[in-house]
Amino acid sequence: MPRRVLIGFVTILVVCILWYGMTTGLGIIPSGRFPSPAETWSALIHVSGRGYGGGDLAIHVYTSLRLVVLGFLFAIATGVPLGLLMGWSRRAEAFINPIFLIIRPIPPLAWIPLAILWLGLGDAAKMMVIWFSAFVPSVINTYAGVRNIDRPVLEAAYMLGMPKARFVTEVLVPGASPMMFTGLRLSLQASWTTLVAAELVGAFYGIGRVLNVAQQDLYPGMILVGMIAVAILGWSTTKALGMAEQRALRWNTAALAARG
Amino acid sequence: MGVIQFQDVGKIFGPKTSGFKALQDINLEIRDKEFVAIVGPSGCGKTTCLRMVAGLDNPTAGVVSVDGTPIKRPGPDRAVVFQQFALFPWKTVYDNIDVGLRNLNVARREREARIADILNLMNLTQYAGHFPHQLSGGMQQRVAIARAYVLDPDVLLMDEPFGALDAQTRVVMQEELVRLARKNPRTVLFITHAVEEAVYLADRVAIMPRAPGRIKEVRDIAAIRNAENWDSHEKIEDVMDLESFVHLRTHIWRSLREEKAAQHA
Repeated sequence: MPRRVLIGFVTILVVCILWYGMTTGLGIIPSGRFPSPAETWSALIHVSGRGYGGGDLAIHVYTSLRLVVLGFLFAIATGVPLGLLMGWSRRAEAFINPIFLIIRPIPPLAWIPLAILWLGLGDAAKMMVIWFSAFVPSVINTYAGVRNIDRPVLEAAYMLGMPKARFVTEVLVPGASPMMFTGLRLSLQASWTTLVAAELVGAFYGIGRVLNVAQQDLYPGMILVGMIAVAILGWSTTKALGMAEQRALRWNTAALAARG
Repeated sequence: MGVIQFQDVGKIFGPKTSGFKALQDINLEIRDKEFVAIVGPSGCGKTTCLRMVAGLDNPTAGVVSVDGTPIKRPGPDRAVVFQQFALFPWKTVYDNIDVGLRNLNVARREREARIADILNLMNLTQYAGHFPHQLSGGMQQRVAIARAYVLDPDVLLMDEPFGALDAQTRVVMQEELVRLARKNPRTVLFITHAVEEAVYLADRVAIMPRAPGRIKEVRDIAAIRNAENWDSHEKIEDVMDLESFVHLRTHIWRSLREEKAAQHA
């Protein structure tokens, strides 16, 4: 096992021991404020067995994960082509950029009330909010990625008589991809943030729903279970994206090494 | 065929009246299969001449044409070797060379044969699967030359192709280019600021002093090369020691310097 990983495990172990010590062991933190490991465990059993907040853990996780993945994919399916277009055509950029200048400063969470007003508490409203939050970073970074392609490389493509479609798939997309993936990471993080916020405001299922109900029930153990669930899901999806990135950017080892 | 013609060509960057005059009254004809070098200091406009033949820049006056057709846009009939290599970093050596042939819709079988030939000729066969960043500068420029040559272009345009290489690699590449050019002659326009390189490689050398760029003089090298039998010498340093070579080099040097001195006076 690499040293770095080992150190990481040790750190987590120390945090767990501290957690146990501060709650159950020494009782410095009362269980009404922060749950002990045992209370958290029993909350986990509770939500995965009998269920909590209208469904069991699997339903909540499935609901949240599905929304994030769909919203994220929908955002990049629209955002990446728009970013390519803006990076490529000065005219398109001149048309579209003013809209971005207006929309960008609005925090994605500020769209939640409007989304619920339009589309209710169901999936559609949440998809819309995720789309809003994930769309902007994927457009901006794809756009910057295209602008970052070396001028001589583009000129080499013209010189070689690249047909338009091949120019997009074999020059613009791979050339923009290092920055594009940075944008996708940001998009994915933003997707989780907005989803949980949207579910907190109102939802029938989902991890945000669990958090919301647990807060009303004054149930710290369940709150922590919800938070840990979001952390694990966020980490796994980011990891999956990282693996896709590594595959796509095999040629760009310098960039990957710099990122660690 | 590949006859390049500059007719009264001028280039102004920026507004017509107040912009920067890069080129003025350029008249030059490069014959089919002739190797012509334009030599001059940086900023003299020599690269702009090449870019206009490539179709990457347009003249503001006069006409640049290949085989009588004025140039409108870049195309694979006029292959360019750039100073900064300009390979596609996300494509392997093989795919970098292949993509131009695919654009020309060459059949797979023929592509494979032509790429195998050029890889062999440029000593690149064992690197076919490498990405550009895994290669040294000299190797990358070899790939760029292979990518241009494999297209079998009418015209080969080389913009200070060895300018980014170290002195030793540069010499090796110069010798290889001579070998390649003798074996498979093309119309070549070669841009450089190195006088020796120009004299060693070219059939004729066009001398272009500092801006506003105009061609001061075109010097015939081929006649002397053949008369003095330069090609019988295998090594570049042997050629460079010949009296006829030194004489030509000194003449061109002076021609560039006199212009400079006149400007400073």
